[in-house]
Amino acid sequence: MVNLEELKSEIKRVLGEGKVKYFIGYRRSTGGLPAAPFFMKETEDVERLIWDPTCIANLTRFLDDEKKRKARQKEPDTRPIGIIVKGCDSRAINVLLQEEFIKREDVYIVGVSCEHSGMVDEKKLAAKMKGKAVAQVDFAGKDNFAVTAADGEKTGIPAAEVLAGRCVECKVDYPVVRDVTFGEELARSPGNAFKSVEKIEAMSVAERWDFWKEQFDKCIRCYACRSVCPMCYCDECVVDTINFAVTAQTGAKEKAQKIKWIEKSPATSENFFYHMVRAMHLAGRCVDCGECERVCPVDIPLRFLNKKMEKEAKELFDYDVGMNPELPSLVSSFRDEDAEDFIR
Amino acid sequence: MAEEFEPKIVAFLCKWCSSAGSDLAGVSRMKYPPNVVPITVMCSGSVSPLYILSAFNQGADGVLVSGCHPGDCHYIEGNYYARRRIALVRKLLQYVGLEPQRFQMSWVSAAEGQKYTQVIQDFVDTLKPLGAQKKLRRKK
Repeated sequence: MVNLEELKSEIKRVLGEGKVKYFIGYRRSTGGLPAAPFFMKETEDVERLIWDPTCIANLTRFLDDEKKRKARQKEPDTRPIGIIVKGCDSRAINVLLQEEFIKREDVYIVGVSCEHSGMVDEKKLAAKMKGKAVAQVDFAGKDNFAVTAADGEKTGIPAAEVLAGRCVECKVDYPVVRDVTFGEELARSPGNAFKSVEKIEAMSVAERWDFWKEQFDKCIRCYACRSVCPMCYCDECVVDTINFAVTAQTGAKEKAQKIKWIEKSPATSENFFYHMVRAMHLAGRCVDCGECERVCPVDIPLRFLNKKMEKEAKELFDYDVGMNPELPSLVSSFRDEDAEDFIR
Repeated sequence: MAEEFEPKIVAFLCKWCSSAGSDLAGVSRMKYPPNVVPITVMCSGSVSPLYILSAFNQGADGVLVSGCHPGDCHYIEGNYYARRRIALVRKLLQYVGLEPQRFQMSWVSAAEGQKYTQVIQDFVDTLKPLGAQKKLRRKK
């Protein structure tokens, strides 16, 4: 069990000693069930820290933002950032370390184990509670959640019924990189880590197309998936040219020469292009934190796409994402025995 | 009589082997279908997945990526990177429901003009029954 008081006192200690610039954790949200990201600067702030199954957000995205902010400052505060990570979030840090986007000394990592269960899926819980408002969810031993409704009624719910998709297929539910850990470090054994992907693989070519066409046609191209992803940290993104640096000095010729790979309008072909480019850019980098799927306003199952690339990386190249920051990344390495049966 | 469907193929050929191979086929007066739009790239390893998706987006019925045989790369290991990356692109295209036959990769050396014509001939033959690629094509 993660002891919240111990966790709080550790963060208070680190903040009190002035070791970190600020500490990122979770607090109760003022709207909705999922916990809100919480930036703690003073030791008094820490009292509002929470740790329960609603702490679903992946906070590592803020490390990207912090790095960019620091790059713009003349005399940046070079102290590290404190951050609370779950198993999946810690793998995201590993990938960022592997790509040398952040340095290990720039983060102070406090790991928390997911108590053998995981995070709660808001939509599944709402369905389970039949629309009844939920005030609080707590861990209740192995594979159980204690749910407190808004009217004060308490119920126990088996975790498996309301667990987020990412947690059902999670392989390592404890932090793989951290300075200090709270809770037990016990690897879980999921039935099948790629069950959702296999369901789609079993379809015929035409069925698969129809499935994805239905999903991608919903896309309104809000780029929420890109904004929330800790791996989407590029300054310039290939899919929307508003990101390209166009200044007063940029001439018409230069503007005209910028390659426009993709239309902004949400047409079928352009949505496929966007999501496939994203899947390729995340191949061997996506840690399956499932944030893209969670924030999607039109419920596109984006995890299935990224999970597929993770599966191929594992099956074709025996590559585990985010487990070892020392190894070269998936597409910047090769083995002599890589499959080439598809090449004539 | 209705005209027979002629597929349009975009071929990314590496400068050192496959492009020279297609050149050999040309200067040797070998006959092969004129359905290919060859694009010479410096190395098969320089072919970004973006090029491939863009070719389909612009209306290619098939895309071919061709490079040097493993071990023959002018840049020592470029085609090994390509092999890994192309394998992933291929799996992804299949996964979203594109016919797997529409995307191929081959090793063609500078001396294999004959093999190049054969690769193109076979590719055209497999694409003809599939018809035009409309799934990923941008609507004008």
